[in-house]
This record gives sequence, structure tokens and C-alpha cells, in this order.
Amino acid sequence: MQTDLEADFTLDLRGESCPYPVIYTLEALEGMNKGELLQVITDCPGSFRNVPEEAIAHGYTFAKDPVKNGQEYLFYIYA
Amino acid sequence: MKKINQSIFQRYWNPYVVLAIAGILSAVYFGLTSTVWAVTGEFTRLGGDILKLFGVDISGWAYYDMVHLKGTTWSRPDGWIVWGMFVGALVMVLLSNSFKIRRPQQKRRYVQGLIGGIVAGFGARLALGCNLAAFFTGVPQFSFHSWIFIVATGIGTFFGAKLTKTRWWKGKPTLTRGSGKPAPAKARVIQPYIGGAIAIVYLALTVYFFVTGQKLLGLGALFGLAFGILIERGQICFTSAFRDLFLVGRSVMAKAIILGMAVSSIVTIIVISVYGLTPITQIAALSTFIGGALFGFGIVMASGCETGMMYRLMEGQVLFLPVFAGNVIGATILAYAWDHLGVYDTLVKSGAKVNLLDSLGPVGAIAATLAMLAVLYGLTVYREKQYHRKIVLAKGAKQHAN
Repeated sequence: MQTDLEADFTLDLRGESCPYPVIYTLEALEGMNKGELLQVITDCPGSFRNVPEEAIAHGYTFAKDPVKNGQEYLFYIYA
Repeated sequence: MKKINQSIFQRYWNPYVVLAIAGILSAVYFGLTSTVWAVTGEFTRLGGDILKLFGVDISGWAYYDMVHLKGTTWSRPDGWIVWGMFVGALVMVLLSNSFKIRRPQQKRRYVQGLIGGIVAGFGARLALGCNLAAFFTGVPQFSFHSWIFIVATGIGTFFGAKLTKTRWWKGKPTLTRGSGKPAPAKARVIQPYIGGAIAIVYLALTVYFFVTGQKLLGLGALFGLAFGILIERGQICFTSAFRDLFLVGRSVMAKAIILGMAVSSIVTIIVISVYGLTPITQIAALSTFIGGALFGFGIVMASGCETGMMYRLMEGQVLFLPVFAGNVIGATILAYAWDHLGVYDTLVKSGAKVNLLDSLGPVGAIAATLAMLAVLYGLTVYREKQYHRKIVLAKGAKQHAN
């Protein structure tokens, strides 16, 4: 697997159900400095769709495509 | 083949398509059985079954007479709708290899789930239906109680969303510096085989129902399975439809549900006029409003409604065990309170069964329903726009301050 990106912060949301992955992700991004990279690890199926869609809708950009890792997803988002 | 396999099992389906199909299927199910796709009525009966198991005499409880508590859950078509939904969701979860035991890091979620489940179960039965019979399948029956229920649910979820945002409720996530470690990937994939085996056994059972002349059980089992497959693959979440609109201005699910109801209403009016069926009407009263508001508040507390919790539980989200238990407990408390604590006399008795088909005629009923859905759709789009305008303003302010 690609591990070329070094994240500044990691948000491990495994086990949390909706809507908390979205709330936590947006709050973490809001608290970071612009340009810093956040890695999100989540396993709530609802969050596979709403976390990336809401991060983009809130004006954040993805460093790379989401990575599916078994029953989890990894997201790399710039604050 | 691999491509088809990928799009069916590796991706979630478009919620608009899923809810349109669900809307059509629920209208067809009504045409075939004269009952609607619903779950909480059966949850109430399950509560009654459990009470009887513990030797409680419920023969005098008016609510159980009203919901026809007879036989066991295995001999009731409504029971098979519920179990079919569980099986359909589980089979899809396994075929897509996405089952995993998921335990919330925040232990407070279990308590929130149980309490929210009780509040939502109580509210749904007070209003005589959850997000299905008083919402998704209630509107297409032209039962006016579902209009009241939708408004009340919206108000309830609004306050639920406020609660979700408080620090003591949501808790603090684990934000760490640097890169984290994902779980090691498993080489062996066995879930799809288990899913396939369960599907075959279940389909055999369905065939058995039809062959032995138990047509209603077979239809319940078959449609339950289809609804379970649809809600899991579409990740259909009525809780999020309202809540996420308030929380993060997300509108996809609300729009898809509204369009699904529009499709279902049109198919239902055709079914009603062609087969001369009587639509299912529930009492519209103060209880509908209070029940809807409690339901809306409860589903946000619990992070899932009576339908959403079913496939989440099958995905291995442990949180939804206390939610399921809470739903049954809440429904059972309401069944007790109905006549023993005077709920019926104070909140329900003064109401009336209002059906738009009777009061407005078929053309008026469908026109009014579609107009109401159009207004809901407009409000949804308005709220989404308003939220994002605020975000842009807030961001601008932040940048200037820096």
C-alpha cells in the first residue's frame, strides 16, 4: 500500500457511527492550520460517503483518492 | 462479470434509485396484501411476546388488541417483513465482505443509544407508525397523520441535532499527531460464502411458504428481504435526512426520500383505483404530533431510527444492540401507558382518521400530496443553500481575522 504521504494529524474514528465521523472530521479540519494534512481512519459504512462529500462541500481538498483497506477507509484531507 | 460484481457489491447504490424502487415495491406490497411496509408494529408485538414469556397477563391491554397480537413472530407476515429485512441486509453485508464488529470508542454511545431507542420506540408507537407507516409508506396511503408526523419529526430532529453538538454529548475524538496505522489486511475472504449460504437457505424457506399455501408469509419474507437489501445497499437513513440538514447542510437523503415518496404515492393511487382497495388510515391527533417530535428527538439521540438500526446492526455496529432493545422497550412502555396511564383518553381519543382520498377525492389527494412534497423539497434545498452561505461567510471572517 502507498504510504508516501506523511499526515500531520490522524483521526482514528473506528467504531464510531454516523453522524460523529463527519462532525469530528470537520471539527478537526477547522482546528488545523491551512495546508496541514489530516488522515482519517473510519469503518462506519455511512461515513465512506458522507465524510468525503462533506469535506469537499466545506471547501477542503483531498491529497489523494480514498484508500479502501478491508472494512475500513482511509481519507487524506488538506485543512 | 467482475465489473458487475463490483458495482453491485463493492459500491453503495444511488439512494435516489434505491428509494424509488422501495417506493414502488411498497405500493405493490400494499396491492398484494392490503398492508404496508412497516416495522414498529411488530416491535410492539415482540415486546408483548416477551412479556407473555415472563408470565405477564397482557390479555386486557387495549393496544395489543389494536395491533392484533396473535400467534408468534414466525406466523405473522409483519414478523417476516422484519426478519426478512435483517436477513436481506446481512446477506448484502456479507456478500460485500463488509461485516466487522464495530465498538464505539465513546462508551457514552451505549447509554445514548438505549435512551434514544426507548424515546424513539415510544414516540413512534404513540404516533402509530415510525418513519415507514407514518412517513414513507404513510404519505402514499394519503393518511393525514403522516403529514403531522413529518413536521413533528423535523422539529424533534432539530432539537436532537442541537443536543448532538454539545460537548458533553458528542465527546472528544482521538486526534493524534503524525500518521496512524490502518488494520492489517486479511488475505482470506470468507464472508461472501457465508452470505451466499444464508441467501440460499432463506430463499428455500420463502419457496416453502408459497408451496405450502402460506402466501402472506411468503410475500412478507420476500418483500422484507428486498427492503433489507435496498436499505443496506442504499445506506438509507431517515435519521440523517433531517439531522444532517441541520448539522452540516447535507441534503442527499432528504431529497431522495421525498422523491421516493412521490413515486410511491403515484403508484399507490393507481393501485388503489385499479383494485378498489381501501387505504390504511391512522388517527391524526395530538398524539401524532407529540409522538413524532419524540421520535425525531430519539432517533438522533440513538444515531439511528427503527429502520436504519436494522442494517447497521447487521454490519456489526454493536451500538445498535441497545438501540434495538430500546425500541422494543419504548414500544412496550407505550402499549402499557395507552390504557393504563390514560394516554389514549388524553391524547388520542379526540383525534380522527383523516384520509385525503375521502376528503379531497383521488385527483385532489394526489395533487395535494405532490404539492406538499414539493414544498418539503423546496425547504430542503433552501436550508442547504442557507447553510453553505453561512459557511462561506464564516470562512471569510476567519481569513480576514488572520
